[in-house]
Amino acid sequence: MKENFIPERAVIRELIVENEQIHTIRLELLDKTRPFTFLPGQFLMLSAPHCGEAAISISSSPTALPLIDLSIRKAGELTTAIHKMQPGAQVGIRGPFGKAFPVENFSGRSLLFVAGGIGLAPLKGVIDFCLFQQELEEEAAQDMTLLYGSRTPSDIAFQEAIKKWQEQGIDCRLSVDIADEKWQGTVGLVTDLLDGCTVTEQTTALVCGPPIMIRFVIARLSAMGCTDEAIITTLERHMKCGMGICGHCHLDGKLVCIDGPVFSLAQLKTMDVMELG
Amino acid sequence: MIDLKELILAKDNLIPLLRKLKKEARLIAPVKNGYGDTFFTEISDLDTTVIDLDSQPQSSLKPFLLPQQETLAQYTIDKEEYTFTPPEKEQATIYFGVRSCDLTAVLYTDLIFSKPTRDSSYYARRNQSLIITLGCNNPFPNCFCEATESGPYLEYGYDLQLIDLGDCYFVSAGRRKGADILERWGYFFREVGEKDRKIRYQLFLESRGKFTRNVQVAHACRRLQQHPVPETIWEALSRRCYDCGGCAYVCPTCTCFSVDDMPLNKTQGLRLRSWDACTSSGFTRMAGGHNPVDRRQHALKRRFLHKLKDDLTLHGKVSCTGCGRCVDICFGGVDITTFIHLITAAEVP
Repeated sequence: MKENFIPERAVIRELIVENEQIHTIRLELLDKTRPFTFLPGQFLMLSAPHCGEAAISISSSPTALPLIDLSIRKAGELTTAIHKMQPGAQVGIRGPFGKAFPVENFSGRSLLFVAGGIGLAPLKGVIDFCLFQQELEEEAAQDMTLLYGSRTPSDIAFQEAIKKWQEQGIDCRLSVDIADEKWQGTVGLVTDLLDGCTVTEQTTALVCGPPIMIRFVIARLSAMGCTDEAIITTLERHMKCGMGICGHCHLDGKLVCIDGPVFSLAQLKTMDVMELG
Repeated sequence: MIDLKELILAKDNLIPLLRKLKKEARLIAPVKNGYGDTFFTEISDLDTTVIDLDSQPQSSLKPFLLPQQETLAQYTIDKEEYTFTPPEKEQATIYFGVRSCDLTAVLYTDLIFSKPTRDSSYYARRNQSLIITLGCNNPFPNCFCEATESGPYLEYGYDLQLIDLGDCYFVSAGRRKGADILERWGYFFREVGEKDRKIRYQLFLESRGKFTRNVQVAHACRRLQQHPVPETIWEALSRRCYDCGGCAYVCPTCTCFSVDDMPLNKTQGLRLRSWDACTSSGFTRMAGGHNPVDRRQHALKRRFLHKLKDDLTLHGKVSCTGCGRCVDICFGGVDITTFIHLITAAEVP
């Protein structure tokens, strides 16, 4: 029987320093014969030597396989250890786990991505996946808008990706809570960026960020006329197994690791969830 | 459920039978220690150890099937190589004298550790286990298994179930492994007579009449399905919870766990699984300190709703087995029976 808690070995092929707080490690499985695939929104359990495991969402698209990106904010022991790692270093991964974003329903929709800070990581995989699909078939083309809020201009992560997305026709709007002398864009919360947006029946909103941001963005989107089914978010919880046994990510009778982490607002409303206040 | 086989075992034949079984497997049974406390213990010598079938074991089978701490893997870091190796194989084990509540808890744990993913470490042990239960003719003071539909006798799930008829045991085989024992060691047993069946049924009825606690589990479950729990109840309970984890420690169905890596030296370490509990504040706290559960109000919310509401919805059965151990252990007096009393007594909003 396969041992559940023994990870696959992966090697860091590339390191992208997004900013002081966020590093993206680009991984490849050491055993290239092992079949591995995932869908945007799923997560991995990442092992670092002597640090145990943490649940980390995949920030790349499956179309970039065999490379897998994990974007990691320095928050605790394991993430600090990862921040010290260089290309060539080995980590362990288990997964993928969890429910993905319903990308199969996205063709022809207007996708509105709303992210705060590291919350862009799981959405980044969706954006890249949709862009790839558009190249394959024109009918799949979506009109995509990204609203991305950061604390300060130096906290803006994924700058390379954002630049590329803009070139590919995605409307990317950025805001910072606190500006510096050089910043010429919007200053304020990411909800302020919603002022310039319109929501139609065709809109699907994908929201990820700190719980308080999720709460305000969801309330705002609802007020703008977005239906509960068309608002989709992904939650972060403490996890130990990733496969529905350890109990840590309990959420009012559900488990975030297997029933989520991606939930529609319609689903969240049936539960007692901190993100909704 | 119809048993695969039923036979009668004279009490004098019990130890000789166990002696035979012990030759091929580790034997675990309730034994009273020097302090007068009864625990499931590995029996090394049946001639010098007395099996205590009169007291309720203070522990369930949980420490054996899901050890308080177990090694899931060993890892090494050699230069840049980061490798994991699986743990050692498990040995065959016979559990004897297990009460109905604790077997019900094992069946629940089987479910949790198999859906949606089968937990390899748990099943490595479970597949090596054979469980011989003892129906309760005299429920203990805190017991309420009748209200949780997990006793005093069982209808399925055991390998063998023994019912004490006075000078002999009525033995039923519920699973193939149990039936094999009855066939292989047939000379210890005799056929069941009509009188044996009558005595067994009479004892069953008497046992059901001996429960002293009135814990309205079904009523509480209905309330939980229909109405939200008043916040005042959660607060009152949380105020008296001291985060000791005692309830989760003794509870046979509290199976939540943590997985952590423990370095042994610079290049080696162990991946360990250890018991964890939703009542402790660190259970849901994330890296960076954010905690989605407010302990001051909701320290016990997950524990009680999980057992009496969520599991009923998910699996069609509550996951409290009425063993009553938490009643003894909780010095704040906020065990599950307190919650059930509060919720059934509360006015419907």
